[in-house]
Amino acid sequence: MSRLSIRALCVASVGLACLSPALAQAPGVSATSIKIGTFGALTGPGYLYGKLPMNGVEVVFDEINKAGGIHGRKLELVREDDRCDPASAIGATQKLISQDKVFAIVGGGCSNPTLAARETIEKAGTPFVVFASVHDGITTPPAKNIFSVATTSTIESQAQVQFALSEGAKKIAVVSMRDAWGRARYTPLMETLKAKGVKIVADEEMTPDSNDATAQVLRLKQAGADAILMVLYPKPAAIFARDANKLAFRPLLIGQTGIADPAAFEDQVGVPGATAKFRTISMVRYTPEDPAVEKWRKAIETKFPGDRLSVYNQFGIGAAQVLAEAIRRAGPDLTQEKVVAALAGLKDFNVDVYPGPISCSETDHRCHKSPNWIMKEPGGPVKVLGATRVE
Amino acid sequence: MMLSYILLSGVTTGALYALVALGIVIVNKATGVINFAQGELFMFSGFLAWALHVQFGIGYPLTLVLAIAGGFLLGVMTDRIAFQPLKNVDVVSLVLATVGIAFILRGVARVIWGGKGDYLTFPPITSPEPIMIGEIMIIPQQLAVLAGAVLIMALFWLFFRYTRAGKMMQATADNAKAATLVGIRTDRIYALAFGTGTAVAAAAAVLAAPLTLLYPDMGFSFFIKGFAAAVLGGLTSLPGAILGGLLVGIAEALAGGYIASSLMEVSGFVVIMLVLVIMPSGLLGARRLRRV
Repeated sequence: MSRLSIRALCVASVGLACLSPALAQAPGVSATSIKIGTFGALTGPGYLYGKLPMNGVEVVFDEINKAGGIHGRKLELVREDDRCDPASAIGATQKLISQDKVFAIVGGGCSNPTLAARETIEKAGTPFVVFASVHDGITTPPAKNIFSVATTSTIESQAQVQFALSEGAKKIAVVSMRDAWGRARYTPLMETLKAKGVKIVADEEMTPDSNDATAQVLRLKQAGADAILMVLYPKPAAIFARDANKLAFRPLLIGQTGIADPAAFEDQVGVPGATAKFRTISMVRYTPEDPAVEKWRKAIETKFPGDRLSVYNQFGIGAAQVLAEAIRRAGPDLTQEKVVAALAGLKDFNVDVYPGPISCSETDHRCHKSPNWIMKEPGGPVKVLGATRVE
Repeated sequence: MMLSYILLSGVTTGALYALVALGIVIVNKATGVINFAQGELFMFSGFLAWALHVQFGIGYPLTLVLAIAGGFLLGVMTDRIAFQPLKNVDVVSLVLATVGIAFILRGVARVIWGGKGDYLTFPPITSPEPIMIGEIMIIPQQLAVLAGAVLIMALFWLFFRYTRAGKMMQATADNAKAATLVGIRTDRIYALAFGTGTAVAAAAAVLAAPLTLLYPDMGFSFFIKGFAAAVLGGLTSLPGAILGGLLVGIAEALAGGYIASSLMEVSGFVVIMLVLVIMPSGLLGARRLRRV
């Protein structure tokens, strides 16, 4: 290359940089790529809400990249492990933002770590789409740049009450954990019950480590409860279902996304028929076996040999599609502000996996308001019962 | 009828606490150290039993025997790694060493069994269906666990009462220096104490497994309950550990059934506080005499 052409190239490069300030300023964006960060538990028991949704995000990015990327830029995913630990989540997001200089984040598995990381992400102004964390505090009051496509705890609590009433329950009772996770659901649940004029017949408590629920079951049975709203992790919920069956108490058991997999729950309870009247919320529309998600099943199994498509993968698939759409709408001159504006402007946007459309606004960043109800016939497949629309 | 269910539930849970407490007391009596890894040894033995029973299809009785043997070996290893090299330093270092063992066991359990799902299920050892005898509902699963716990307690009582090893353990616990003078190899007794303590924990884990679910972080809650039961019983008394465990279990069940389920977790500790205020050495602990 001649000396003249090198000089011309330098001038052209400088000129391009001056003409396109967005390119020069937007972190993690180059002419050919956009760096997206993700955080959640890659290790430990919370991996279901971290690693698996991340795998879902990655297959969506692969599909987009195969089709040429977004406005010619390929999406690169940078993973960080928060181990379901608030301090680690703050460190992980600081690394993603300051060191890896990601353009946007799609992630957040366990609720408390995501809540802890909120301040860091909010201050940085990095667009953030939450894929699994449900704590209300992550999106309420809304931070300008943080949006959730997970059903938040208030939305799920409202859906639990609506579902119980729609099933004709006359004597509703609550059994809940009262730790930080449980409180985040229990409080809005009680507010919803009060708002709907429902007087519960019993209000029982369990701990995450409970090994026996005989006392709770007997009290609920004495109260004549016909529907139990369960604000429990899978372990105490399984103990409760097992002990209820043991004491011949078989009301409608209404769960939430803490117990998102009825097949795994049936295994955990381990007593045939004990989960026959268990219904729970799924954030996604389809069971992993549904032909409608065949494309994603193949993508997951090809990219991650040994894995099988799960509902947790679908959390990531939906969130990645939402973020990708916002980046697409922001146009080729990409800035974080444009993506935030695009996210806030999403209205009735349908993605492959959610039961209802995604709608965000300037004032409400809880974008997924259609929890799906699922159940499993004893020994049979998981069935979708339909979605509840919550406003 | 509610009282009978609640009492049966409390006694069953209490029997499991009692077994964990027994393990703590056995080690404490012989070595003067509280083994803070007792909960994790319990958890690890439970997973070992799960692997034997669920993964390798070994029958429940043989699983119980193998898990107790495995627990014994784990306990001996704990003695060799965390107690023997440090036995001449201060007690705080010894206690910290057992805490270290607890974290290592939890980490290893997470690596081996942590990725297989949220929680692992141990199949019921009897029919999960209740049996109705007239108006009274009998729950075979709870009765089987209770019977197993009583049998194991009886076996360990016989071990301490009638075997040479058991008597040597008691002699070492009473006075280690005197035991050495009469020819007892106290190093072996310490290993035996850790081994026996963990074997009891393993038995508790195999009995508890069908009632609860297995997960790598389950050890701490059982340790706390077992430790509380041991303190209630007097920390050095084997019958005290059993009594303490049963009282904690029954107190929890009664509080949950008749007052409020939110009081279940604290009720056992309230009982302990009340007992210790009146009897500082615990229910059956050795009284301290001050000679003047």
